[in-house]
Amino acid sequence: MSRAIQKNFRGLRALVIMAPDSGHQTLEGTLVKLGLEVTVAGGWPETTDNPVPFDVIFFDADDGSDTALSETGFADLPLIALIGSEAPSRLAHVIQNRAASHILKPVRSSGIFTALLLAVNEHAVRMRHKQELQVLNRRLAGRRIVTKAVMQLITRCGLSEEGAYDWLRREAMQRRIPMEDMARHAIGLGPDPAQDTGLKHGRATRSD
Amino acid sequence: MTRRLELPIGLLMSQGGSYEAVSRVMHAGAKLAIEEINASPTQSVNITPVSIDPAGVLSNYVEGARCLLQEHGLKHVVGCYTSSSRKEVLPLFEKADALLWYPSHYEGFETSENVVYSGAGPNQHIVPLTRHLLKQFGTRGWMVGSNYIWAWENNRILREAIAASGGVVLGERYFPVGEIDLSDVVSQIIEDRPDFVFTTLIGQSGFAFLKMLRSAAEAVGIDQPAEMPAASCSLSEAELPMLGDAAAGHLSSSVYFSTIASKENRRFVALWNDRFGQMGQASADAEAAYLAVHLLARAAERAGGTGFEAVREAVRDLTFTAPQGQVTVDGDNLHCWMRPRIGRSRSDGSFDILVEHPVALRPDPYLTWAHDVHEGDSRNLRLIQ
Repeated sequence: MSRAIQKNFRGLRALVIMAPDSGHQTLEGTLVKLGLEVTVAGGWPETTDNPVPFDVIFFDADDGSDTALSETGFADLPLIALIGSEAPSRLAHVIQNRAASHILKPVRSSGIFTALLLAVNEHAVRMRHKQELQVLNRRLAGRRIVTKAVMQLITRCGLSEEGAYDWLRREAMQRRIPMEDMARHAIGLGPDPAQDTGLKHGRATRSD
Repeated sequence: MTRRLELPIGLLMSQGGSYEAVSRVMHAGAKLAIEEINASPTQSVNITPVSIDPAGVLSNYVEGARCLLQEHGLKHVVGCYTSSSRKEVLPLFEKADALLWYPSHYEGFETSENVVYSGAGPNQHIVPLTRHLLKQFGTRGWMVGSNYIWAWENNRILREAIAASGGVVLGERYFPVGEIDLSDVVSQIIEDRPDFVFTTLIGQSGFAFLKMLRSAAEAVGIDQPAEMPAASCSLSEAELPMLGDAAAGHLSSSVYFSTIASKENRRFVALWNDRFGQMGQASADAEAAYLAVHLLARAAERAGGTGFEAVREAVRDLTFTAPQGQVTVDGDNLHCWMRPRIGRSRSDGSFDILVEHPVALRPDPYLTWAHDVHEGDSRNLRLIQ
């Protein structure tokens, strides 16, 4: 499935973290031309806000901070690394923070739009994958319960494997609940998740 | 006598700022070479230098390079000490079709066609030192450094080598450049009793640290140079006088020491002492700048001109008998083939050379060809004391 790429960044709030010495004017100027609201800071700001009030972060990979972002409100934002030194110790820092794109220093005006576009769109893909991963993980965790419910329906009610599975799926759909929850109820591990919907309790019978 | 080739060059070296001790020595080394070349009846170039002092401020390097390249129209500049300053000025050299002659050891991971690197790279300083420390002293290390790329990258290499040889990093701490309140880290090191301490602290921080470590060790009866030596890839003759009575017994990895026994070095040391002796003994930084200017003069002579491309092509594979020995510019990466050496400082402000590589080592700025650092490559290292 192809999605339209985001290519207009008007109104995005950018935080630029760069030492005051290292010429951030080019970056700031270009971002402003692209319609972003830019805040410049000398280092990672102390913040307890989560989410932080920014949409995209540019950080200097050459500075000394080995801030681990995974625990902060910055972790779920598109990060763009500003890279001067290509020494592995610095690049490791870029990887640990999962920068979605980068700009080589000294910053030139060309290349900034590309880095921003790549980072924002790559980040959107990562966020989608993260959500899909959560769904898949939940489904995986429920797999054992579904298998158990199918086995019980086969042995107790004489259904075929396919029939048992179809029954679970149909009942779940009627109740508008995940199949895993339906399975949990069918083997008596959980209450009928659809009690309030006015539907009948789950029946382990052949439904014609 | 034929007319000499006029070679105007820029010198972009700080005379003030946090690392002035080293960059002033570099400036002196370059001047020594210029005077020597201009006075020599056999040389075919005459060098006119233009000096700019960025005073250790990053943005001044950019302004200085712009002035030298654009206003003075120079094609050759000897200068920069920190990697950050080199990175900042590099685009200006690319744009102006000019060459930066970079006279400092550095952490590597760069190969620009606009730079000739006359200082040692990582396979010529930290890699041999790492092998020496792990083999001679043990695998329990403490690392302390100034908070910048030189420290981070050297420590990464050492840390990985320690881990690969089953050792342990007991501690790793960084301090802002210039920090001298180091008593806590010194107490911790004394308590941990590592096999060695690797320091990348520079300038005042480095002097304070080595003095405090020595006196703290003495206070609890530890023979620090023997049992818990401090090692670095930057301690030079220029800095030993700042250490007072804690000057002796520190390890340093360098391609140059003033005590190298050769005809060329004796001549260089005599010249240095005569002209700049008040700055301390001759050191690696002075020699690298001296070397850079000589390579530039030879390349211009070989090219028969001073143009960027002609000189760059002429410097490839150029060999020069430097004070440190024979140095060859690598035709591929424009770094130099040099002999790694490990010295131990003496109280008289010089170094005993403990170990030296028997031949010049090919520069490997990306550490592409280095064997795993922890593996003994000692068959190539000759213990001379």
